Amino acid sequence: MEIRLIAEGEEELCNNFHNRIYNKNRTMQQWKWDFVLNNYDKKPIPFAVVEDDGKIVGTQAFIPIRLIDKNGIYWTAKSEETLLDPDYRGKQLFEKMYSLLFNYAGEHEFANIWGFTGSTPAVKALKRLDFSIPGKTEQIFISFLNRSISAMMSKSFYGSPKSVLDNIKIAMFRSAGILAQIISSLRIALNRKRVIGDLDIRTWDKPDVQTGDLCRRFIQKWGGTTIYRDNEYLQWRLFDNPYVKSVVKALYNQDKLLGWIAFTLGDDGMGYLVDLMIADDDSGYAIKDLIKALLLEAVIGTRNMGAIGIRGWHVNNHPLDKLICNVAKSIGFYHIKRGHAVVLYNCEAGKKRVSYNKFDDWFVNRIFTEGVLG
Amino acid sequence: MILPEIEYIQNQISNHISLFFNAKGKDLFESGYIRFLPYKKAITIQDKAIAIPFDIPIAPNQEKSYKIKFNNTELTLWNRISCPSDNTWEAIPGDSAPLWYKNRYGTLIPGWNLFGNLFHLLTFGEEKGSFPKDSHGRFAAAFSPRLKDNLLEIPAFNEAVAAIVGAYTGLCENGRPFLNLNGLLKPPIIVLSHDCDILRGNDIWTQAVRGVRIFLPLAKFKPPVISNIWWIIRNAVTPRRFYYDNVTGMVDLERCFGYNSTFYIINGKGGRFGARSGFKIIPELLKDIPPGWDIGLHYNYDTFLNDKCFKAQIEQLNYINDSKITIGRAHYLKFDPEKSFSFLQRYGIYLDESSGYPDRIGYRNGIAGCFQAYDTALKKPLDIWEFPMIIMEAALVGQYGCQSINKFSRLLFHLSCVGGALSVNCHPGQFFNPEHKQMLGMYNKMLIESRQLGAQSKTARSLVDQIR
Repeated sequence: MEIRLIAEGEEELCNNFHNRIYNKNRTMQQWKWDFVLNNYDKKPIPFAVVEDDGKIVGTQAFIPIRLIDKNGIYWTAKSEETLLDPDYRGKQLFEKMYSLLFNYAGEHEFANIWGFTGSTPAVKALKRLDFSIPGKTEQIFISFLNRSISAMMSKSFYGSPKSVLDNIKIAMFRSAGILAQIISSLRIALNRKRVIGDLDIRTWDKPDVQTGDLCRRFIQKWGGTTIYRDNEYLQWRLFDNPYVKSVVKALYNQDKLLGWIAFTLGDDGMGYLVDLMIADDDSGYAIKDLIKALLLEAVIGTRNMGAIGIRGWHVNNHPLDKLICNVAKSIGFYHIKRGHAVVLYNCEAGKKRVSYNKFDDWFVNRIFTEGVLG
Repeated sequence: MILPEIEYIQNQISNHISLFFNAKGKDLFESGYIRFLPYKKAITIQDKAIAIPFDIPIAPNQEKSYKIKFNNTELTLWNRISCPSDNTWEAIPGDSAPLWYKNRYGTLIPGWNLFGNLFHLLTFGEEKGSFPKDSHGRFAAAFSPRLKDNLLEIPAFNEAVAAIVGAYTGLCENGRPFLNLNGLLKPPIIVLSHDCDILRGNDIWTQAVRGVRIFLPLAKFKPPVISNIWWIIRNAVTPRRFYYDNVTGMVDLERCFGYNSTFYIINGKGGRFGARSGFKIIPELLKDIPPGWDIGLHYNYDTFLNDKCFKAQIEQLNYINDSKITIGRAHYLKFDPEKSFSFLQRYGIYLDESSGYPDRIGYRNGIAGCFQAYDTALKKPLDIWEFPMIIMEAALVGQYGCQSINKFSRLLFHLSCVGGALSVNCHPGQFFNPEHKQMLGMYNKMLIESRQLGAQSKTARSLVDQIR
């Protein structure tokens, strides 16, 4: 058995392994987009494999991603592709793959390794590797159709015969769903009046070159750290995404970029708020009005696309995250405290960053996800 | 001198290969391997060649079809040719279902009436003369002789070209026709379009139809459709919901897949079968359709072969559109195969998408792709192209119900094995409209399936412009 970085020609074997274990049909184009075509151009790529007799039986990968704080731009990595053949469990292979990648992260000066997981065993295993759990993702959500409630709660109301108690629960869920929809619809209708006067909202065919500069202004305004979304990153993450691309609506004061919102429709029929960035300028409008205008673009946009609902993340006490959550609630979103654990590992290079051990400094939204749902 | 019918079919095959194969169609014909000959001559060839008989008449009663495994799918052929009577011909892949007959010199002749079938389909042979018509004067799928043998969903032209390319490649490599197309095919193409029949749900006709439909079930002793009252009120208050708003919704959804489409705009005379939403809303609509998406004319019901009405309609749309309208599709698919092409040409239309069935999905011309119109009386091709519509969302759901997406997926998968472009029409009023519950999410699912099968999106115009 050999634990090493992926060798040339093993890409398809790794993807087939993933598809076999998860019973999925991820394409090679999608695999390449995730692990090869991202904005990190160093070779070899940080993708560890366990190979046994020519067979791939384990994988663990990092997707390198740049973050920005007040001291500049730095590399971090998102943990992905954690997968071990059930026949090979209990052999410390998970730890060994991580150890290999931690060395890689050290050599390449990654500041942190981060990710999200909904699985309790995975959290336990990651804790053993010195990952911390600094927070969890929560949801902001509007239902457009009743079906979205069951999708949101990950529960099916259909199928097998149900007990009387189940039927009562279903009736309650449905009634609550209808009531929630009515309230949300009224709030959306009451807030639809345009409050941003002469500002311009444009739909992007490709990212604006001002995006990198806006990230710098963002850090000046809000502090902390977040993904450095320059046009190259956004092109990869939102426009070249082979799973599902995003619709991006950007706010301009004349030709100056003030912010943007990215949203999409997942294969599950749910609308997803992928990203929202806003930096202050002298537009003369309250920042909450700019956020409201962008959120309404996403709500109306996904509703017209036929979404059953729209959901986004609220993660921590970062001032913009809190503000977005409050504005969202004012236009009909509900805040639901269900989500995945955030896992974070600080590498040596991370200890000198301003947001070291201060997770509330991180501005996190769904753009931090792998991108399968947008 | 080459016969015009042969030259025409040769050009259509050549164009089709250029669009859907990693090969140049012209190379195949310039190689001299492919020859169109009278049957008697074709069977006397003693040379490495694909000899396609062009003089076998189409039987008045279509003969039973048969299937052949080919490139991970099945080809369906009909109007079989018998094996030449001397014993030197081998049927490939077998006697029971021949794709080719091969003699010892390496000559191949098709096992079915390849030329006859294709010419018959591309020139609307089924519809010439006196055929039954539906209440709108159309040739519906129900009247096609192919329906009874389930052949309407067979892209006969695509299958024939795939067989020819496989045979040609095999002939060049080892003297035997290949039954696969390894590496020769481009990804399948999806051609999306939207007929913008209704843009506001509160017009008098739409509301009246809803009103009448409340009570129609009473005639069959069924309860009235009370829910229609809700939709009448709903669209009276928010007329654009589920209609105009769906146009921007469809554009945004297509963006999520990296796809684009064509919007066919109807203007002109109002009425039950006319332009229901008035003209005022159209300039706004044109502004909301972004660059990269195409705009065409949805020929109004009253413009069918009516010069005065058609001229008025196209001139009105040209007046407000940035560029001259040159593509279109008929409202209610009203189309006359003998007169419509030359009529449309007179008004600058060079691409039409009207040749589809209103009542079923299917290949009216046996082709998933485009072809040049041919005037059989003058024996010459016209400078106007047809891109037949294969799937209209309501027909798909009406025919296949909850199996609609499976069906769509199977059609597209088949094209991924033989090459071609699947043309889909989805109306804004059907795209996302809770009044039509069975349609909810349908378009999104079609796009998901297309992405999964690696389909690329092209507009009809962009494809035709490649070969025109």
